[in-house]
Amino acid sequence: MKNIKHIYRILVAATLVLTIGSCTTEDLDPSLEQNKSVEDGINSINNISGLMLGAYEYLTESGYYGRDYIINNEVRTDNCFSNGNSGRFTTQASFAYNSNTGYFYDEAYEAIAIANVIIAQDVTTLATDTSELEEGYHIQGEAYALRALVHFDLLKQYGQMNTGGTLGIPYVTEYKGEDLYPSRSTYSENVTAIMADLQTAFDMMSDDYYDTTKITMSKYTAKAIESRVAIYFEMWDDAIAASEAVINSGLYSMVSAENYVSSWSAGSQQNSIFELAYTSSDNLSSDSIGFIYRLGDSGSYGDVQVLDDVINIFEPNDVRADILGYEGTMLRNLYKYPDINGSDNIPVIRYEEIILNYAEALYESTGGGLSELNSLRTNRGLAGLTTITKDAILDERRKELMFEGFRFDDLMRTGQDIEKTSLQQNFTSTISYGDFRLAYPIPQNDIDTNSNLTQNDGY
Amino acid sequence: MKRKVYGVLTLLLLFVHFTYAQQKTITGSITGPDGLPLPGTTIMVKGSKAGTSSDFDGKYSISASSGETITFSFVGYKSQEKTVGTSTTINITLEEDASALDEIVLMGYTKTSRTELTGSTVQLESAAFEQVPVSTIDQVLQGKVAGLTFNVDSGTPGSTSDVRIRGRSSLTAGNEPLYVIDGVPVSSAAANSTTSGSSFSPLASINSNNVESITVLKDASATAAYGARGANGVIVITTKSGKSGKTQFNFNSSYGFSNDAVDGPQVLTGAEREMLYYESVYNTYGADYGFDLDGAQAFSEDNNLDGGVYATWNAAGRPEGNWGDVITNKDAPLMEYNLSASGGDETYSFFTSVGYYDQEATVIGSDFQRFTGQVNLTKDFSDKITFSTRNSGSYSYQDGLLETSAYFSSPRAVKFFMPATDQPYDDEGNINLETSLPNPLLIAQEDIDDSKFTRISSNNTLKWELPISNLTFNTTVAIDLQLYNYKRYRNRIDGDGASTNGYGWQANSTRTNYVFQNNLDYLLAINEDHSLNFKVLQEYQKNRYNYLEGEAENFADDGLTNLNSAGTPTSANSYFTDWAIASYTGLMHYSGYQGKYVFDATIRREGSSRFDADNRWGTFWSVGTAWNVHKEAFLADSSWLSTLKLRGSYGLTGNADISINQYQSLLGYDGDYNGTSAIYLDTFGADGLSWETSKAVDVGLDLGFFNNRFTTTLTYYNRRTEDMLLNVNLPFTSGFSSQIANVGEMENKGFEFEFNADIVRSENVFVSIGGNFATNKNEVLKMYEDNSGEETVISGTTQRVESGHAAYGWYMVSSAGVDTQTGEDLYYIDGKDGETTNIYTEANQSWQGGSALPTFTAGLNLNIEAYNFFLNVSSYYAGGHKVYEDWARYTNGTDLFTTLYYQGVDAILDRWQQPGDETRFGKMTYSTTPWQQNSKFLYDGDYFRIKDITFGYNLPDSVNSIVGLQSARIFVRATNPYTWVKSDYLKYDPEVNADGFTGLETPPTKSLIFGVNVNF
Repeated sequence: MKNIKHIYRILVAATLVLTIGSCTTEDLDPSLEQNKSVEDGINSINNISGLMLGAYEYLTESGYYGRDYIINNEVRTDNCFSNGNSGRFTTQASFAYNSNTGYFYDEAYEAIAIANVIIAQDVTTLATDTSELEEGYHIQGEAYALRALVHFDLLKQYGQMNTGGTLGIPYVTEYKGEDLYPSRSTYSENVTAIMADLQTAFDMMSDDYYDTTKITMSKYTAKAIESRVAIYFEMWDDAIAASEAVINSGLYSMVSAENYVSSWSAGSQQNSIFELAYTSSDNLSSDSIGFIYRLGDSGSYGDVQVLDDVINIFEPNDVRADILGYEGTMLRNLYKYPDINGSDNIPVIRYEEIILNYAEALYESTGGGLSELNSLRTNRGLAGLTTITKDAILDERRKELMFEGFRFDDLMRTGQDIEKTSLQQNFTSTISYGDFRLAYPIPQNDIDTNSNLTQNDGY
Repeated sequence: MKRKVYGVLTLLLLFVHFTYAQQKTITGSITGPDGLPLPGTTIMVKGSKAGTSSDFDGKYSISASSGETITFSFVGYKSQEKTVGTSTTINITLEEDASALDEIVLMGYTKTSRTELTGSTVQLESAAFEQVPVSTIDQVLQGKVAGLTFNVDSGTPGSTSDVRIRGRSSLTAGNEPLYVIDGVPVSSAAANSTTSGSSFSPLASINSNNVESITVLKDASATAAYGARGANGVIVITTKSGKSGKTQFNFNSSYGFSNDAVDGPQVLTGAEREMLYYESVYNTYGADYGFDLDGAQAFSEDNNLDGGVYATWNAAGRPEGNWGDVITNKDAPLMEYNLSASGGDETYSFFTSVGYYDQEATVIGSDFQRFTGQVNLTKDFSDKITFSTRNSGSYSYQDGLLETSAYFSSPRAVKFFMPATDQPYDDEGNINLETSLPNPLLIAQEDIDDSKFTRISSNNTLKWELPISNLTFNTTVAIDLQLYNYKRYRNRIDGDGASTNGYGWQANSTRTNYVFQNNLDYLLAINEDHSLNFKVLQEYQKNRYNYLEGEAENFADDGLTNLNSAGTPTSANSYFTDWAIASYTGLMHYSGYQGKYVFDATIRREGSSRFDADNRWGTFWSVGTAWNVHKEAFLADSSWLSTLKLRGSYGLTGNADISINQYQSLLGYDGDYNGTSAIYLDTFGADGLSWETSKAVDVGLDLGFFNNRFTTTLTYYNRRTEDMLLNVNLPFTSGFSSQIANVGEMENKGFEFEFNADIVRSENVFVSIGGNFATNKNEVLKMYEDNSGEETVISGTTQRVESGHAAYGWYMVSSAGVDTQTGEDLYYIDGKDGETTNIYTEANQSWQGGSALPTFTAGLNLNIEAYNFFLNVSSYYAGGHKVYEDWARYTNGTDLFTTLYYQGVDAILDRWQQPGDETRFGKMTYSTTPWQQNSKFLYDGDYFRIKDITFGYNLPDSVNSIVGLQSARIFVRATNPYTWVKSDYLKYDPEVNADGFTGLETPPTKSLIFGVNVNF
């Protein structure tokens, strides 16, 4: 009997123990102090402006314009090589990369994902007045321009234009969309999509939001990118129209000869159309482009050295030769991206390139372009040429845009081999145009996770 | 929470009114023949169903009337009966039964006697580790527990380690066991705020001298009570309790020296390196440019191929820099001092101690110190109410170093990366600053990597014997505060801070772990033959983490290392995260016919903040049973068989050890662009995310012969993990690289065998041998499907996760040796034989057999006591796994990495030079080879290590009494004195991280320690 009474009391006690501070599901909600959910976090034009900055931030990363994307296109040419001082870029410079070697593919699609989130927003509900609405459309225009630029960068590295194939890259236009497993379009389809995005960008952006600091994209940035894309794919009429649009905007001008070297440490110059911002407190330090181009006083990586012969391509009085200099016996890029920790802004597109694009497009379509080419030459301290040739244009591009990651693309789009010109170059013999190594392998992660993707030949 | 606790306490007080006037309460304490308390003794009133059991301190209280008889029984002891008279106090000393003393196993929430265990549990008593000076307490487990593998992440004292119990249960979620200290789950997350440096384990704050026992729970019947955190096993640490009586003091002191346990690979001399360099110039250009080996130097100099390095070195007289010696702290001192006191009277007991531990690392510029204090107190407030509190405070300081990768400023990297052609000192004898990597002498002197860790924990329990007999209520409030401060400074002169004129970074974190527990224990003794123990337990755990850091550059002057002295602040950051777990647990233990039949059941309902609201709660459970066959009548009289026990358990446990807030689709805000805060896509999110579950079977047979003089245990286990928490790779085109999801299945199974043999048991000589052997077979059973419906793999350049193989099994290109005609490295195109190629990229990866996880481990211990001398030897074997030499591209390259840019190991001297040479390494070339991971650098990981040898002498009582001591011993101890490695190529210490890669961390050490231990 006693037992039964006890059991009753025990059950009461047990129930009490179990209900002491009985925790509900809500009690277990974790705090979310550093994040907001994607669904609830985007409520204003200011929010999409912040997202746009997030997309630019991906472009600044070391894997992309911060270093690797530019360096890859220099060490695989007759400009630079890797001396292996820190073991960096020897693989790329030897054309020995595989599908697991460093790539910018992930940063690129991360930036595109943000652009797609911005593009998907209904700015009419986010904006509180007409001025905000205009700003909202402008930011969406920036997102379109960024999406086009990044896809174009991907296309140049992974597309099969220079290896005899037809494939381009997946062109992604939705975040968490229906198709998480896209296949590769042809590169021609990519070009159409890029040009369409650039046109949309130009249409949506407003002159009112012209950024004098150049660290975000403005309306004519879209046209400048269009000029670059058109040159690459030999769409000369488009290139002429886009270049003229930029030139006629009157917003930009060439940097003067005396300021050519110093402009690299100043930032936001008259010749800059779009550049990426770095500061003394927000830089890539040991992963920066300055850290890899030179050793400096304090001993940085300094793997990427200039081939000894390169100093000889400059004519006397060419101010652009002053960018180069020596550390001991090593020829170096000393003054483009001069800060060793990478606190200088990195230009993505500048006015001189547009002049060169314009000259080349005129030359290809009409045989003209001489005066445009000479306008740059005389600005740099040289005499004008009397006749224009394709080689003269390409030489001028090499000297003007050296160390900025253009050389490899120029060799490719003009169908040239990567010549072994020096014992210093890391690759052992000339790489013929069409060689499979001229397209990067799609990263193994995407080959493994997305059966719709085709790997480039040879990998 | 707290307010509700008080509310209930008030309610429960009502029960005080239910008392039984005709009865009186008998109290007392139960001790064994050695005078120590005997917890868990069954106390019954004969002829009634009233019964109780003695508590942790051997105390009991029971209601009985005068004239009634009380029986005291405990497995392994002779039962006693006492008739209740006028006294209300009955103290009992039980004498040992013929069979040995049955050990009480402390399992965190519960305790039980060894014979009534239904699962696989190993308990180490303090005697097994009290003379082992260790910086982290988990180190004492290696070789002592079947099925437990232990690897230190670094030999830097205070570092974290990898503990795996019965293999690897998860791919993405954690594989570390749950730690429970004095009945309360604690956070053992590594305290360090950066991975580019020495790690810091919270276990480094625990003084092993204060620990009574460490119990390792391996099977579901024991771990299901820990729900979604039980799947990786549970390690229960119990601190010492006071013993009533005259205050006893214990003092121990150890002093010793440490060196690297294994010397590690030897590097090239400057002369060897130069020779190999010219050989590479000749091999690469000799034929094309028409020069022979002797002409290589001239060709190199003419074409500026080495930047003048070797000419400079020759001009300096070819000095040889020995960087291995430079970075070594030879005979690094180690010391430990500990003083404790224990005592009390009938109503209270206490244990208190202070301790100091100091160990220098075997690499220059690194040290670890710890100060600890402990106060454990138990006080009877009344007959019914006992309060106990266990409090510890500690301060640890780790002067760490840059390690975990080939950082140029890491002294351990310098040993293998700085060429011997660079000199530590310049001509004037000053530290040479013209070295190709930063000079570690300067780094050790100027740079700072300090961790300071303060931990205060207080664990308070009020135990109340309710008026209903055999019903006990416990309420526990435990607070564990972990304060961590990290200071990094990089000097202005050379190394990582030089380009910014000095660099400073400091981080502060505070982790607070609260646990509130309430439980009821009820012993239902149906009659003498059947008893049931019930426990219901409610627990809420909350963990809060506050983090604050600041970073700056441009320091004002040398020697000023705080951020205060920096001109340019570059970063400030803070964040707060938390997690919480709520649970309700019911445990039942049945013991029939004095433990002949045993049955356990556990159920736990748990909610975790890591999962979305619809998937937050889950139920975990286990059942276990044991049959002590030797207690059956037909074996009771056996003269030789003293134990025959069959046991088995099955249950469901979980693993929730993933980063917080993974289930939500999140925006991140911790980036900025040009100083304006930027927003980015942070987490992809996972709808319906929940924990991974493990279904575990455990069956075993325990045997004992001749009064348990020889005992063995054989266990089979099988643990199947389902709905694995896995970072499912997404194509980068999604904007993410992975998404966490519950997918896939994995299995771990194996046998465990333990034995102990008391070979000699005589009055003056005692010899015993004990050991354990365990196997583990890990296999991934199912992976997730990709978009084409095919099962995916997780693939890297050396490892792969694929169903049908061990998780992260070795999977790489197979080396086919060196072509004896051309000197080129050859690779098998497919698999491990057949057609070969000299082009690495043409060879396909293939399974190499095995993974980084040992498939069998063994421990062997010898214990000899003869007269007053004692000798203890323990050893450890791990095998069946493979280890990869991680930095082989650089240190074993037959190219410029070894001969011009960095340094090589001397193994590459075995290289091809001319047709016909049969060598391990190919010809030297003037080139830089990309990463080409292949099986040439994959070695058998099997090794045997004598963990320690202790030899000591106990002072005879005659001497002790003269000097006024109770007991005293002196001892000398050698740790890791001997290591055998199966592979001739594995030169690094074979005890590598659980990931299977050799590293550039401080290796494990061997030490020689002298110690004294006195009781007075």
